Amino acid sequence: MAVSDIAASDIVETVPSALIVLDRNLNITSANRAFYQTFRTNAKETEGCLIYDLGNRQWDIPALRTLLESVIPHRASVEGFEVEHDFPTIGQRTMLVNARKIFSPGDNDGSILLAIEDVSEERAARKESKRNWQLTQSIVDTIRDPLVVLENDLTIVTASKAFLTIFGSTQAETFGRRVSELGQHQWDVPALRHLMDKVLPENKPIENFEIEDDFPGLGRRVFNLNARKISQLGNHAHRMLLVFEDITDRKQRERDAQMLTNEISHRIKNNLQIVVGLIAYEIKWSIAASVPGLKAMQARIGAIAKLYDLLSHSSRGETVAIDAYLAEIAKAMSASLLGNQSGIEIMVKAEPLVIDPDRAVPLGLLVNELATNAIKHAFPGGKGHVVLGAARIGDEIELTVVDDGVGMTDKAVAKIPEKRGSDYVAIFVRQLGGTITTSSTEGTGTINKIRLPLLVIPSGGVEPLAA
Amino acid sequence: MAVILVVEDDMFIRETAEMMIQDWGHQILSACDVNEALTHLCSPHHIDALFTDIYLKADVLGGCDLARHAIKLRPDLRILYTTGNRVTEKLLALFAEGSHFLSKPYTEDQLQGSFESLLAA
Repeated sequence: MAVSDIAASDIVETVPSALIVLDRNLNITSANRAFYQTFRTNAKETEGCLIYDLGNRQWDIPALRTLLESVIPHRASVEGFEVEHDFPTIGQRTMLVNARKIFSPGDNDGSILLAIEDVSEERAARKESKRNWQLTQSIVDTIRDPLVVLENDLTIVTASKAFLTIFGSTQAETFGRRVSELGQHQWDVPALRHLMDKVLPENKPIENFEIEDDFPGLGRRVFNLNARKISQLGNHAHRMLLVFEDITDRKQRERDAQMLTNEISHRIKNNLQIVVGLIAYEIKWSIAASVPGLKAMQARIGAIAKLYDLLSHSSRGETVAIDAYLAEIAKAMSASLLGNQSGIEIMVKAEPLVIDPDRAVPLGLLVNELATNAIKHAFPGGKGHVVLGAARIGDEIELTVVDDGVGMTDKAVAKIPEKRGSDYVAIFVRQLGGTITTSSTEGTGTINKIRLPLLVIPSGGVEPLAA
Repeated sequence: MAVILVVEDDMFIRETAEMMIQDWGHQILSACDVNEALTHLCSPHHIDALFTDIYLKADVLGGCDLARHAIKLRPDLRILYTTGNRVTEKLLALFAEGSHFLSKPYTEDQLQGSFESLLAA
């Protein structure tokens, strides 16, 4: 069946728009099903009725009168005439009215076909969207950091007042352009472009991308860029929020702090070098029996210098991460005592625990002393493992230095506590507020276990758990 | 036996290092800053290796700058850097190709080991 074969009445009854036909006197001659449904009326109440009288005169709307009495008589058709009215039966509605004069054979006066579409929901959604956008823009404008919102094609759809003010640009210069095209192309960085290309399609945020450049009117600045995909519920369009954080002052403070650290480090290490040099003079003029002790002293001073580096590197402000600290100690010892060709390996198996900086130096020296002993005495064959460990056991940290070397006889192990009354290991253990136990079997290695009080880290600082 | 140019702004540290180097039978030339060192490098005196501190007086990277000039003047010169500061990736990138490094504080044994591998290379 061709479209032309379908009866006009069938089409009229099928279309979703409300249709009514008026005669020259504006009386309703017919209406379709959609009209009756939309306006909750029926053919009996409608047909023959003057449109203005329909439903207790709820159609007596000034805008409709204007359309029917002033516009239609002079034009063949009108499209998209918007009528907003509070209908008693269906409430506040926005109607889009299309009107067309129709003439049938022998009817010179003609009729008026009105197609009425209820666009209330669409208009409400549009208003809501506009309100949301205005709200978003207000929020955007209150944020101190400059930020822009980008469309799918990475062009700027909005920019905060802070962005326009700080970068001295206008909305006209900014909207519709890509970030890489702004200013003097300071943001035109391949790595940034590459990251931005992935934010929307792969939902991959950009975090802390740093750009340092000269900005007109601002001078040399460092900005931290963060970007993420933003979506609205029920809306398939995605946008990107790109925030520019000015970290120039922070970077300068970091650089100043680094310079100060370098200066202090330079002085400390030079002073330690002088002490090592003084000992070198002593070695030169001392009897042979004193030389190993003096050299061991030099090595300990070297260990303190290394620990100083590790502390400044591993410290998280108020605490030192034990796992990272042990890893650095292992690395430093391997480099200074073993070298690349050694068959002895120093490994770390530690839980993520922390210690206060005051106890970090004796802890490092203790590990250094025990591991050095293992390297010197446990592996006559030049092959084996030393494992530095840390684990939480109840309210204590158990620090372990374990080797799989030749071990010690029972007699030698029994002598250790007696010997340790005055040696460095005992002093460091006492300084840490801990206890040490050593067990060893010939042929299977030695296990040193040191138990220390665990720390709790309150927000205000570091205090021992146990009073 | 080699000729070593020792550049160190701290007199005690420099003289201690020189004493050690001379004990191994090497000859030393001595400088306390970049300018003094360049005077030696521009002289006709034979020099096998440069042993330089990086932080020279107020010049934070003085030793790195000196080594760069020294290589231009004497392309075959061997370089051993020393510093008490942490060696970052940025600092490493400034080191001359094939150069060696020894951190402060160093003992006589460590300095001797460094020179043996530097001069053997």
